[in-house]
Amino acid sequence: MVRASLTAILYGLAALGASSGSRAAAADARTDAEWTMPSRDYGATRYSPLASISAQNARGLHPVWTFSTGVLGGHEGQPLVVGDTMYVVTPWPNVLYAFDLTRADYPLKWKYRPDVSANAIGVACCDSVNRGAFYLDGKIIYNLLDGHTVAVDGKTGRELWKTQIADLGSGETVTMAPLVVRDRVIVGASGGEFGIYGWLKGLDLATGQVMWTVHNLGPDADMGVRVDTFKPPYDSGANLGQRTWANDTWRRGGAPVWGSVSYDPELDLIYYGTGNAGPYNPEDRPGDNKWTSSVLARRPGDGLLVWAYQFTPHDSWDFDATGTMILADLTIGGHTVKALVHFDKNGFAYTLDRASGRLLVAQPFAPENWAKSVDLTTGRPAVDPTKQTGVSHGNVKGICPSLEGGVSPASPPAYSPRTHLFYTSTNNLCMDYLAAHANYLKGTPYMGVTSPYSGGPGGYLGSFIAWDAARGVKVWENKEPFPNWSGALVTGGDVVFYGTLDGWFVAADARSGKVLSKFKVGSGVVGNPISYRAPDGRQYVAVYAGIGGDWALLSGDMRSDDPTDIRAPADFLKDIARHTSQGGIVWIFGL
Amino acid sequence: MRPLRALALLCVASIGLCSCARQSAPSATTGVVPPAVRYQAHLAAGGTPPAGGTLTNPHAGDAAVAKQGALLFTTMNCDGCHGGDASGWVGPDLADGRWRYGGSDAEVFSTIYYGRPKGMPAFGGVLGTEGVWTLVTYIRSLPAPADVPTESWVGN
Repeated sequence: MVRASLTAILYGLAALGASSGSRAAAADARTDAEWTMPSRDYGATRYSPLASISAQNARGLHPVWTFSTGVLGGHEGQPLVVGDTMYVVTPWPNVLYAFDLTRADYPLKWKYRPDVSANAIGVACCDSVNRGAFYLDGKIIYNLLDGHTVAVDGKTGRELWKTQIADLGSGETVTMAPLVVRDRVIVGASGGEFGIYGWLKGLDLATGQVMWTVHNLGPDADMGVRVDTFKPPYDSGANLGQRTWANDTWRRGGAPVWGSVSYDPELDLIYYGTGNAGPYNPEDRPGDNKWTSSVLARRPGDGLLVWAYQFTPHDSWDFDATGTMILADLTIGGHTVKALVHFDKNGFAYTLDRASGRLLVAQPFAPENWAKSVDLTTGRPAVDPTKQTGVSHGNVKGICPSLEGGVSPASPPAYSPRTHLFYTSTNNLCMDYLAAHANYLKGTPYMGVTSPYSGGPGGYLGSFIAWDAARGVKVWENKEPFPNWSGALVTGGDVVFYGTLDGWFVAADARSGKVLSKFKVGSGVVGNPISYRAPDGRQYVAVYAGIGGDWALLSGDMRSDDPTDIRAPADFLKDIARHTSQGGIVWIFGL
Repeated sequence: MRPLRALALLCVASIGLCSCARQSAPSATTGVVPPAVRYQAHLAAGGTPPAGGTLTNPHAGDAAVAKQGALLFTTMNCDGCHGGDASGWVGPDLADGRWRYGGSDAEVFSTIYYGRPKGMPAFGGVLGTEGVWTLVTYIRSLPAPADVPTESWVGN
């Protein structure tokens, strides 16, 4: 039933393409062989229908090709495969490689090396990551860490346009993967630790010109809110993005966009999550602080806000909601629901009606204690008052999850329409939280917290789980000795793929979680596996190795490239440097 | 995501310090900052180092100024990149006794005043020389541990 609905979406897209003449709409209907978008499809399912590799034969998976990217930063994101070419974007300095999949050894067709400011390395809060490129209309579109979006000709590697979208001097960097809908390139900025005034922009696909800019907080006029068209399910009134902040604290309130964006062509809505509220001391910004830690639904054409829902009102724990919004049609209570599923940093997995934003299911998927539950009628969490942070609360101990999240928003889940299950990495860390008043100084960090981590309950630090989002229950769990930071891939062969922080790449049975094969890939995996069919007709799985993406997690002792920066290991993660070190490698596995 | 440890501070104190540093900046700057700073670690072609002015920390070894500098380290959000106690985060550890751009008073001054190319902002404009020297005094007061190049898991 779900499968039929997905097919309908594909046909709908094709029809849209035919009727409007839009080349963009046809993109989602490309062949099963390809992977042309960051999350493979507009619904961000990371499901590949390819089935040659199955639970029966996955034991025979082995590496068939590797490539050193020459870059050490955390290799989040994923390659793209378009026709006979594989595209790889590296962390800063954001090199774009194009590999020829038709020839032995996959030699490079070309590489594109943009001039990216090194200053961006220090302005990115956590590491110089990039979460991937988008292919459409012959163009590879991606973001540069120093605040630019580029379009590169997919055949020649020639730069078609380059647009400055963000201001490094204000603490903005760009790590997210763009989404292209029709002729709009949707982009946003990181900088929740620098007091940015978070935004989303729509660029023209042909020229790169900025067509609209809307903010994620602030007055209606800035937010792209019209009273007649904005219908949040649990709130009402004008200027919510301004009224829910004390004084003018919204001006530096954060709400960055550093994950991905998804799209429903039938509803013509784009969905994305916003990051934390700034600064980290919540008493510096009384109020709900809308729309930080929220999901926003907008029109791609003009950016107008249609609905918004806040997962964590008055964010007091750095609970970004930038994790993927996965669109799937689920059967809930006997009815088919156009659902949006989101695994939040705050430890709850949410299932929403994606037309209205109303909450259907909200249950913890990882150990958490900051909220007792989420009220489905009001949409609000029942916060445990002993876990409320702020200067007046002193050092609040033992909050779970830590601000690394029950899952990192950098670790996108997958959804299989065959098993009807969602698959995601999780972290099992807790934290103490000592807030301090923060001093805004443009272009410098705006935080105010001391928050040491410790392992969560159960004696493991992470896991990979299968989740039933219709019921809000965990179906199986593979526990890991370290936090799990990779994205997920699930295939038509009912195999689910993920990587571990200590450098294992794992294939497991999507129905049971049983590990079918694993291979040590040289560095911890924080990237997202993809699957494609190469010109030789065979199915392959590709993934980046290359630990990084979070300096709190890794404590810096992962490095070997800088003799002037020697650090002690993190006390909660003592052994990780024993098993892995930095270094970007592209791996391809086959049978 | 942010540093594991950061020092708390009061806004009142921070505003006082900042405005003080700003007021003293213009007069103190003139004639003090040299056109070039020499780095001990850099090689000199022909064995001859280029000419450069000298920079002398007026507060070298002053524990009271170092304490002020610790407060300034938080007020100016240095800890946001270098971590609480300057123990490292996205920016390098400043308390490990190893230096990317030199660890003498003059070299640390130059780094803070003018900035560095991987995202270290130039704080000379907002802090002035007196403010920068206060920070230098704090950073130089951090006790560097014994340099142990080996990390071993043998026997674990």
